[in-house]
Order: sequence, then structure tokens, then C-alpha cells
Amino acid sequence: MRNKHTHILLLLFIVMYACSCKTLNITRYYHHHQSVLDSIEQVYTHAYKQKPFSIEFTDRRFDRVSMELATDSLTYIYEFWVGEDRMQDTLRKYGFDNFAVNNLITNMRSVNCTWINNLDYYTDERKHTLTYVTLWPRAFNFPFVKKKYYILTYFQQPQYFDSEGQLLVGRKMRRVRKINAEVFRRINDKVCYTLSDRFR
Amino acid sequence: MKSTFPLLLLTFFLSNLSLASTGEPGRSTQQEALAYLRTIRLPDSSIYWPNTRGHLFLENLRVNVQDPLGMYQGSNTNFCGYAALSYLPLNYDPLRYVKFMLTLYEEGQATWNKIKFTPSPEVMLAAGTLRFKGVLDIRHADQMWFLVLADHFRSYLNFFHRKFHTGSEDTFWAACNLGKFNRMIRQLMGYKIKAVGSDLIRPGIKDLYAYLQNAIQTGTTFLYVNNTYLHVKNHDKSRFSFPTHYIVLTDIQQIGDIFQIIYWDYGGRTLRQVTPEFLKKIIFGVTYCQKDTHEE
Repeated sequence: MRNKHTHILLLLFIVMYACSCKTLNITRYYHHHQSVLDSIEQVYTHAYKQKPFSIEFTDRRFDRVSMELATDSLTYIYEFWVGEDRMQDTLRKYGFDNFAVNNLITNMRSVNCTWINNLDYYTDERKHTLTYVTLWPRAFNFPFVKKKYYILTYFQQPQYFDSEGQLLVGRKMRRVRKINAEVFRRINDKVCYTLSDRFR
Repeated sequence: MKSTFPLLLLTFFLSNLSLASTGEPGRSTQQEALAYLRTIRLPDSSIYWPNTRGHLFLENLRVNVQDPLGMYQGSNTNFCGYAALSYLPLNYDPLRYVKFMLTLYEEGQATWNKIKFTPSPEVMLAAGTLRFKGVLDIRHADQMWFLVLADHFRSYLNFFHRKFHTGSEDTFWAACNLGKFNRMIRQLMGYKIKAVGSDLIRPGIKDLYAYLQNAIQTGTTFLYVNNTYLHVKNHDKSRFSFPTHYIVLTDIQQIGDIFQIIYWDYGGRTLRQVTPEFLKKIIFGVTYCQKDTHEE
């Protein structure tokens, strides 16, 4: 009887462990993969300036990739298998940099980066841009658990933070800035992070 | 009691007749609206809209008239219904839109198609203060337009959010169900519309492709869709099965087994290839205007 209770308790513990959300030290993760992550940001920012686009991995194995390719009149949304010829043809057709996009896809897969995009934000009526990089580390892939993402934001210039490391609107306006309705925290002067249940 | 029935019937008939007769909005061109805007000088502040800056307001009106497809609802807001609705005045009657907005700015109230808009003090204070919404941050006319529409047109979805509070633009205060959306088009724009669908149950359209093709050829076509599938934000397998977003469908083509659709939302047009099953799954409502064929 006692043995049966022990088994039930053990089973409960395993289920609870599987359902719990394992946390990841994002600062450590960032520093560990800094060269790849920073390279992704640099390649993306440069390629985006030529022609705007975003990349999303739609599955957990990072085999399916969806791209939003912006042209003057339309944004095209296409989904491909990684490495598919159709993807290369499409990129060429709309004048996107195949080399940069393929480089990004390879590097994004290697660090579990599921989404990259460019976002506009405004300070004192002036437009600024940031690069929005979403990580979907495998540590979060538990059944019955709402998917969680770590989001990194790369700013063009150093930002201001409060004593708790929260991103502020500016030096004079000491109000917490929200991006996509999330509060961000400092990793370094130009890179911030947050934990979100949405990748974009 | 018996005599009231014909009277009710007559009232119903007359009310429908009057709705139909108001369905012809005054039409104007982009050039007329821009020419009118060039004659306007506004003070940079208004006693009615203390946080709305005149120069941003005017610039926003000019941008909307020049590029009607560029109107952006703001990130994470519930303004999609009002943004989709704006497709009609910005494309087909920009002068009326501009005059309405300027009257609203200068007098604190304005009338459109016999509907008098008297915004609440909370909304007047909020216009110009919405932040972290992308380009909407500096589009003070759009902030005012969305807030005024949401403040005036109410439905059961807004029942528990009667007054505007800071952040209400992201809540049910600004939500727009299909009935309210259709009511806004009918009353505000004066269009005669045809609509199918509901807030919870998908419309039983047998040949979706033929239906949508016909709708687009007839007039401006709006789709009420489940955005968790269209604009995916997480990888969860289980998603809510109700509509949350409005888009303007501008084209649909059948290519083999798939549909290629072009739609407007979030300040731009998107081309996407989807399966018929996917499209059926996301559509909860279709509304199309029956009067703008000869306007285009």
C-alpha cells in the first residue's frame, strides 16, 4: 500500500516537473551565443536596409520557414521548407539578398531563434528603429505549458534604464518604455530582453 | 392591437426606405481633400483636445489622404474594426473625412451623416497620449478618430468597459463585434451592405471562392477573421476559435488547390497563399458594400 502511494507521488512529481516552466538565464544565454546573435542582428539590419523582410520559423524543429517580403506595393507572405529551391527562386524574383537570407536562416536555427523583424518606435516625435529577435529555447518545450519566448531587442544607440534595469523612454522622461506591450530589461547598453508568451 | 401591426409595418418600411435613401454619400477626390487641407491653418493646441498637437494632426490628415492604405491601427490595440472601416471614407470620400476631423478638432464635436459625435472628456484627454503603438504614437488625428468612433459606437462587447481609462485601447472598451461593424458602415458611411456570419459561428458558405469573388466584384469587402491563425503570434497548437480582427479583401484567385488572397490590414496590403480549409476556418463574417461599384 505504502509502495503504491510512493509510485503515485513519484508519478505526480514527474508530471508536475514536465508541466513546469524551466527558466533560462537569458543573460548567460546571450553571452554564450553573443557572436552568433550579434552577427544575426548585423546581417539582418544590413539586409533589411536594402529590402525589408522578416523571418519566422513556424515549427519546433526549425524546418519550416515563413517569410514576409515587403515590396513597394505589397507584402508577400510565403512558407517554405528550409533549403527549398522555391525559396531561392522567390528571393531572386523579388530582388532579396539570397546570401544574407540563407546565412540568417542557418544562424537562426543554430541558436533557436524563431523570429526576426525590424520595429519602429518614437521618441519626441522622432522615428527610431530596433531589431526584434525572438528565441524559443528548447528548455521551454514542455507539454501543456504555454509557449514562452525570450525576446532580445537591439537598439541603434545606448538606452536609459532605471535602478531595476527596466528600459526607460529617455533620460528626461523617466517612464518605463513598452515594446509590444512588454517591459524590457537591460543586458547591455544597447541590448534588452523580456520574457513573453508571444514571439512578436 | 390589430391596427398597430400595419403601423409597425409602415414604420419598418419607412425606416428601411430612409436608410436606403441616405446610402448615397457625397463623393470627393484626393485632390479636393488635399487642396482643402492646404487652406487650413490650425493652432498647435486645442482647448478640446489638450494633448493633440495641431502640426501632427494636420500632417496625419495629409498622409491619410495621400496614402489611404497607410492607416495603421497601432500595435496591440483593438482598433482594427475602426481602421478597416476607414478604408471607405479615405478611398471614396476623403474631403468629407478631412472636414469632419477639422470640425472635431476646432469645435470638440462634429456631425457625420446626421450622426452627432460628442466625445467624452476621457477620450478628449487621451487623444495624443497613446504611446508605444508604433507610428500611431505620432498620428494624432488617427488616435482621435479611433477613440471617437470607439467612444460613440457601443455594443455588448463593450458592456463591462463603459468608460475610457488609460490603456483601454487595448481592451474590450475598443472591441468591435460584427453587428457593430456593420452598423457603423450603414449609419456612418450610408452604404447598403450585405453581410453573413456572426461573432461565434462561422457562416455556412458552400462555395467560398465564388462567394468572395462575387463580393469583391460588387464592392468593398471586409472579412471578420480569427487573427490567431492569420497573424500567428505563438506556436500553441490550441487556439481560441473566435474572430478578433477585420481585414479588407481586395482580391482572391484560385491557383490549383490553393487560394491566393490580397488583403489590407496594419497599414498595407499583403499577398498570401492559403488553402480553402484555412480560409474557411478563419472567416467568421463577410460584409460587402453594395453601392461602391459605381464609385470606384
